Amino acid sequence: MRIPRLFAALDLANAILVGLGVFVGLPDRWLAVDLPAAVLMALFALTAIGLLARTGWAQKVARATAALALGLGLLLIALLALGASYLVGIYGPVGQGGALIYVLIIALAIPYLVALPVAQLLWFSRAGAGQ
Amino acid sequence: MTASRLARVLAVYLAAVLALGIVVVRTYALGTPERPVVLASVWSAGKLVARAEVAAVGAHAAEVDRAMSEAPSPALVYETVTGESRIVTKPHWLFAISLVPGRDGVMARMNGKTAYVTPDDLLARQAYDHGVNNEAIGLAAGVDVQLLLAMLSERLHASARDIADAAVIRRIRVERTVPSAPAPVRITADNMTHAMVRDATLDIAHYLARSLDGEGRFRYMVDATENRTLSGYDWPRHAGATYFLAQAAALSGNADLRYAALRAAARLRDQGLSTCGEYKCIGQEDVVEIGSSSLAVIAFVEIVRTGIDESYRPLIADLSRFLRSQQRADGEFMHQYDRGARHPIDVQFVYFTGEASLALARSYLLSKGTEDRDAARRALAYLVGPAWQFFGNRYYFGEEHWTCQVMADLVESPSDPALDFCVRWQRFGRRMQHTEGDSPQDTDGALGMDPVITPRLTPVASRCEAAVATLDAATRLGLPQAERGAIDRQTRRALAFLLRHQFRPGPAHLFADPAAVHGAIPGSPVDFQLRIDYAQHAGSAMIRWLQVTGDAAP
Repeated sequence: MRIPRLFAALDLANAILVGLGVFVGLPDRWLAVDLPAAVLMALFALTAIGLLARTGWAQKVARATAALALGLGLLLIALLALGASYLVGIYGPVGQGGALIYVLIIALAIPYLVALPVAQLLWFSRAGAGQ
Repeated sequence: MTASRLARVLAVYLAAVLALGIVVVRTYALGTPERPVVLASVWSAGKLVARAEVAAVGAHAAEVDRAMSEAPSPALVYETVTGESRIVTKPHWLFAISLVPGRDGVMARMNGKTAYVTPDDLLARQAYDHGVNNEAIGLAAGVDVQLLLAMLSERLHASARDIADAAVIRRIRVERTVPSAPAPVRITADNMTHAMVRDATLDIAHYLARSLDGEGRFRYMVDATENRTLSGYDWPRHAGATYFLAQAAALSGNADLRYAALRAAARLRDQGLSTCGEYKCIGQEDVVEIGSSSLAVIAFVEIVRTGIDESYRPLIADLSRFLRSQQRADGEFMHQYDRGARHPIDVQFVYFTGEASLALARSYLLSKGTEDRDAARRALAYLVGPAWQFFGNRYYFGEEHWTCQVMADLVESPSDPALDFCVRWQRFGRRMQHTEGDSPQDTDGALGMDPVITPRLTPVASRCEAAVATLDAATRLGLPQAERGAIDRQTRRALAFLLRHQFRPGPAHLFADPAAVHGAIPGSPVDFQLRIDYAQHAGSAMIRWLQVTGDAAP
């Protein structure tokens, strides 16, 4: 039972980090970013509550949340990568500084929106198959 | 979902993103133009009066020839399209950042007509760096899309909305040729000479002197494209410009510059002086800030020190007393004074502590008063100590550029923490400096982290003042040659960047009165607003460099 609790703690932390990153960190409001972020925050929090309370629906919600987070994470990384590609096309050599900024932003998203959802998806898929 | 299936999905995703990235780069990178295009334009007093497509640079067209014979002071300029690419025009913010400032324009086709908006058109209307504005983070980047569409609208005789919806818009890269003014040799850190820097400095000074009216008031901010004086004024920048004029007068021995420095100083004394309790201070408002008095002291010291006018000496002592009265026990200054309530206000703003410290250091160097020396030393110790004390302070430095000038005035030992602070700040500055190839713009020596936002000249100039001061102290106190060489190189690259973008004459055909702005320092390579502190920081950096590297008396 330790692993689901660990996931619950990480999901809760993820909900807070997504909220800080989008609603505190970003200087402007944009529905295309704000709405998915709000949905993701709500789902992370719901998953955490479900896992901590050991509800029957917790694992299903955890899988769905992980799948959505992974999808949005991959979409974000793809958009950042294509955005960087567009700027390389327009501006040519963007310099070490510019490239570093893109790499760092992409690297920031990976633990929360790729690695954790992948781990959670695999764990709960296996647990679901075991049941 | 199994691990192997998820791994396959992620592998496909990575391959797809990589492939799409390559396609995007190739799609939007500049390619060879569909056909050779050379645009011949006639400019008069900063306005486009005629344009025609011609076969080659130097070729004639009837309307261009007619404009050249009829327009007052015409300038013929050729723009050759050297590259072309697709462009994303929606959303507008993406369109805005899709043109390289100063180098890219657009070609639009609609209903069988073709129109061009060239970089010169956009520069003349000051359209670059006004596209995406975010005041929260002080960001201004990209072209003003509404203005660009309005210009296309005039040329295609269609509404801006129709153009945005229906026109085929492509990015063009152009090379400018001005037959009457061959392109000068590009100034770099390697070919820059003392004579070049000296001439550039004096041109800045003469620009400032010309902009001074009979009452000693500068044209504070000027739009070079229209030669229009913009609103606003403040005493600190007036004092800073006065300081530089005094420096330049001493460098050149030029009577006009000397007279200009005296007129500007007299205005500061006669119009700016007031009382703050028992002390004299600069500023007429109910609540005054110490920056005005600080920079006034720096200017008056330079006027006395260089022998321009000894009569300012008592006023320097008076204003220094006021500054000392604003200092706290820990070395920090209280930055405001409430003249009605007759007491200091203990608030802090960026720059003021450094300015007050430099004022007291300069006052000490002039008068040898130990009170000023001790106060300046306490302030310097505070600036490089408690004021910059946080985890990570070795990796990040702010914009404050006065501290290292204070350090250079006061430091006596190579192990002084202030010297160490400034040397580390210069290392940070070198990491922030653009090198060749970091941007499609001409930005070697500028400061910035990305190619989208055009570097501004004043941060380069003000940091260069601090860098040259650091070089001065490092040389005097025998720091290792490798460190001194690195600082020397970064100052040369910064100065070369400033010299390349100084209006000597700059793109004169885009100016209403090129002679009026000759020598001025613009806001950026694409921002042709001229403020007096842009000139001061660049000019003071150049003069100090000449002094430190041995071509001018200190």
